[in-house]
Amino acid sequence: MSRKDPLTPLWRAAVLLRIITLGFAAGVVAAHHGEYADTALAWATIGLMACWTAATSWYYLRPRPSAWFTAVDLAVCCGIMALSPLVLTAHQLRVEVVPLVTTVWVTAVVAVGAVRGGTVGGTAFGAVVGLLNYAVRGYVDTDLTRDMVLLVGVGFVLGLAATTSRRSAERLERALRVEAATAERERLARSIHDGVLQVLARVGKRGRELGGEAAELAELAGRQEIALRALVAAAPLDSGAEEVDLRGMLQVLATDRVQVSVPATPVVVSGEVAAELSNLVREALANVERHAGAAARAWVLLEDLGGEVVLSIRDDGVGIPAARLAEAAAQGRMGVARSIRGRVAELGGTVTLDTAPDEGTEWEVRVPRRTGKRGSG
Amino acid sequence: MGGAGAAPDREAGERVSITVMVVDDHPMWRDGVARDLTERGFDVRATARDADSAVRIAATVRPQVVLMDLNLAGESGVPAIARITAEAPEVRVLVLSASGEHSDVLEAVKAGASGYLVKSASAEELVDAVRRTAAGDAVFTPGLAGLVLGEYRRMAAGPPDDSPRLTDRETEVLRLVAKGLTARKIAERLVLSHRTVENHVQSTLRKLQLHNRVELARYAIEHGLDQEPPQ
Repeated sequence: MSRKDPLTPLWRAAVLLRIITLGFAAGVVAAHHGEYADTALAWATIGLMACWTAATSWYYLRPRPSAWFTAVDLAVCCGIMALSPLVLTAHQLRVEVVPLVTTVWVTAVVAVGAVRGGTVGGTAFGAVVGLLNYAVRGYVDTDLTRDMVLLVGVGFVLGLAATTSRRSAERLERALRVEAATAERERLARSIHDGVLQVLARVGKRGRELGGEAAELAELAGRQEIALRALVAAAPLDSGAEEVDLRGMLQVLATDRVQVSVPATPVVVSGEVAAELSNLVREALANVERHAGAAARAWVLLEDLGGEVVLSIRDDGVGIPAARLAEAAAQGRMGVARSIRGRVAELGGTVTLDTAPDEGTEWEVRVPRRTGKRGSG
Repeated sequence: MGGAGAAPDREAGERVSITVMVVDDHPMWRDGVARDLTERGFDVRATARDADSAVRIAATVRPQVVLMDLNLAGESGVPAIARITAEAPEVRVLVLSASGEHSDVLEAVKAGASGYLVKSASAEELVDAVRRTAAGDAVFTPGLAGLVLGEYRRMAAGPPDDSPRLTDRETEVLRLVAKGLTARKIAERLVLSHRTVENHVQSTLRKLQLHNRVELARYAIEHGLDQEPPQ
């Protein structure tokens, strides 16, 4: 993992908290000097805490501390905390309620649990330290419960902060990756546009004017130009995205005989709807190629009405005589029409077909943005 | 949309040659288009290869039609279109572009271009488009109609403001253009005159351009940019 850990500042804060609370603990021991059951052990405990503070500071400032070390940290802190009954007199422990030697130093390990383990880690570490506090004192009362609530609460809040900043860092990184990919794509698109596309367009145009064999070459160049242009124009699709821009899926269908008209802004629909609609357009265009005549051209128009998406597919071919429609239906040959109607019905939309001899055919498909089926899933 | 009314006889075309300027950063293309037009009796007064010289030369030469590529050595041609139509309102700009740059084409038209043609169009289509642009018509491809239609739909979906709306008739005409019908076919289908169809198409562009100018002026005033530019 070469990237920067978004939690580094929180780790530094946890280390700093431990150093400051160590100073506070030493101050408390100094204030009660001579009153303890075992003053030497009290200072020895402070020494132990200092050593552990140094060790954890060194470890946590390295990249990506491991979970097992934080568990060890918790165990060591609890062990040091458990030494306090040997230092304090029974009276100090239960009646005077003199602070344990560790005092607030143990909150640092709760912070560590929260930074490493999020809300769950923070809450759990807080609860462990709080419960040990009851055990060491040997009783339960309002003051100790207040400590418990504070420890768990701090663990929870810090954990939430850690989780949130980790998530937003991930989101930011994802956004940066997409941005970089888009910028690279635009750079490529520009260079393709300035070079290859210009040449192909020129070859196509000149070839058509010269006619004959040159016209055949021109057609090849024209087809490549359109394919390349559609490839460059198609927006990069977020892999595995729930929603896609329908424009890109239609633009790749453009050829020298098929024009695709779309709005300038993305037409976002669910992946399912986009797949159905682009298949539908493919099917209709294939049908134009088969039946509308060799010279027929086709136009696809995509409109976004907010609540619904409208697709029109028109050709200027020979059209379908009414008699043939009826005849085909009678013979069960209504393959394309039935298939298109079926697809549209699946999506909860409507479809109209306009055709007349020598007037071509025109499909108009209206599909609502959200299909009823999605609600159940 | 070509077709009817777009073929004035050759003699008339040659007697009063339409003056043209070609702006393209690609020498092969620029010279090819200039040659095509000259061969067909147009008066190609000037060529330019970048946005700045295009604006400067257009303001001096004042051709009837500027044929403009949108991608000028990596720079967008859109600001140049806005400057040309602001400094020389009688000059008409026809965008000749390799397409695939959808928002660019829409921005060009909003900035004042009166039409759009793909570079793969035939020499006849180009000649026809230049003649119609010089005559004041809007030259629409189905692709441009789809973009303009989309732009009006986008504005209509937004909060109610003073952005322009299409009449039902204009929507109808624009949709038919987007579906590849010629002006003649549209006139037939809607039982209108050819001229009325052209007027509806032009009107959709004019409203968009006017709105764009108002928006720019409002932006300039709000940001204290409404003084004369230094140039």
